[in-house]
Amino acid sequence: MHVMRTPRTVDIDLTARCNLRCRYCYFFDNPAVPYEDLPTEEWLRFFDELGRCAVMDVCLAGGEPFIREDLPQLLEGIAHNRMRFALLSNGVLIDDEIAAFIAATGRCNYVQVSVDGSGPETHDACRGKGAFEGALRGIRTLQRHGVKVAVRVTIHRHNVHDLEATARLLLDELGLDSFGTNSAGYLGSCRVHADDVMLTTQERMAAMETLLHLAEKYDGRVQASAGPLSEARTWARMEEARAAGAPPFPNGGRLTACGCHSSKIAVRADGAIVPCNMLTHIELGRINQDSLAEVWQRHPALNELRVRHAIPLAEFEFCAGCEYVPYCTGNCPALAYTLTGQVNHPSPDACLRRFLADGGTLKAI
Amino acid sequence: MKPTAKPVADPQVVLREEFDDWAVLFHPLTAEAVGTGPVGVAIWKALDGQRTLTEIAAEIEAQCEDAPDTVLEDTVAFAEDLERRLFVLVEEKDEG
Repeated sequence: MHVMRTPRTVDIDLTARCNLRCRYCYFFDNPAVPYEDLPTEEWLRFFDELGRCAVMDVCLAGGEPFIREDLPQLLEGIAHNRMRFALLSNGVLIDDEIAAFIAATGRCNYVQVSVDGSGPETHDACRGKGAFEGALRGIRTLQRHGVKVAVRVTIHRHNVHDLEATARLLLDELGLDSFGTNSAGYLGSCRVHADDVMLTTQERMAAMETLLHLAEKYDGRVQASAGPLSEARTWARMEEARAAGAPPFPNGGRLTACGCHSSKIAVRADGAIVPCNMLTHIELGRINQDSLAEVWQRHPALNELRVRHAIPLAEFEFCAGCEYVPYCTGNCPALAYTLTGQVNHPSPDACLRRFLADGGTLKAI
Repeated sequence: MKPTAKPVADPQVVLREEFDDWAVLFHPLTAEAVGTGPVGVAIWKALDGQRTLTEIAAEIEAQCEDAPDTVLEDTVAFAEDLERRLFVLVEEKDEG
């Protein structure tokens, strides 16, 4: 098995604190996470190690990374170690001072701000009063300072019918190049509020239809690597292949999703090294105690995830008799874990056969 | 770039030696990355501002069993490509 000497990217939850409590947050209400923060010095020491490991990029999330008063110092530590960074934020705490600082580093790939609607009625429904106004203020502040802004729209029951207006806001009014979409997944706080937040099959179909229309209307500026838009495209290809009796897809028929463990790793806010910030129960070591390169190259749990792609879907009772198996990747291991208790299992959330059995159709696609 | 030039690798640039002798040079200020092989890595490590490209090419030739006749031209071309990408700094000196 070929493994890079060190990870190319490290996803870091800089803090377990957040100024908001969004009802579908994947981070909070996770029994595997102790929700403790590390002092500045611990992160700076770790960034020195990342520099020695020739890590190229870090993605800083949380919690809300802008809640850390020492954020400028931490970003300086990242730049000093010849890395670039991205920040994932709700936007509310971004002010001129920090935006100017980020711009001056010259190392920021982007700041991603979550926007879930065209106005406070939809955005604040799951994020709390004032969150919409704060997010837009944050975006405009970053734009004013020339910092690249990315936006992620998380689709849920309260904004699924606001997608057209949201696209107008983001692309026409704010002038973003593009925005990404996903949907609330069965992780963290979303598990507590699933009935109120997660899309029903009918709502999922509506989201797919609208997003496909918007992606065409805006010429690819509405994007997705997961969620309804991604599923609409993937499932249409799978159905077409099944109907034509096409040969298996190159990555089909096995647990080939996802490939993150070949190039990146993650760190929890308390310093535990984990395979992914959505697989936080698999502790691989601790920063500044265990060598990152050793963990990366030799940890049995990480190497087990890397050979997950060899596991045939035909082995699972869940997939028995499914005509889509040759075209299916099993999808997200983190969602598979929260839904089934097993990482090495196909994710029921992204199962086309189950979607159809629940009354879903692909005719709009 | 002249073969007598003594380019120096920009210390900001990160060299990632991956696997199968493959490597990446990455500039964190421009986010530009360049893939290269073992010979490229050897040249990169020799760009210390002390050695000329002629000297570096001679070292590469001595290290390789089947070095082509174009080692010097290839070394100069690689250095020129890196210069265009702002990965190396060059102070041209006529030492001839």
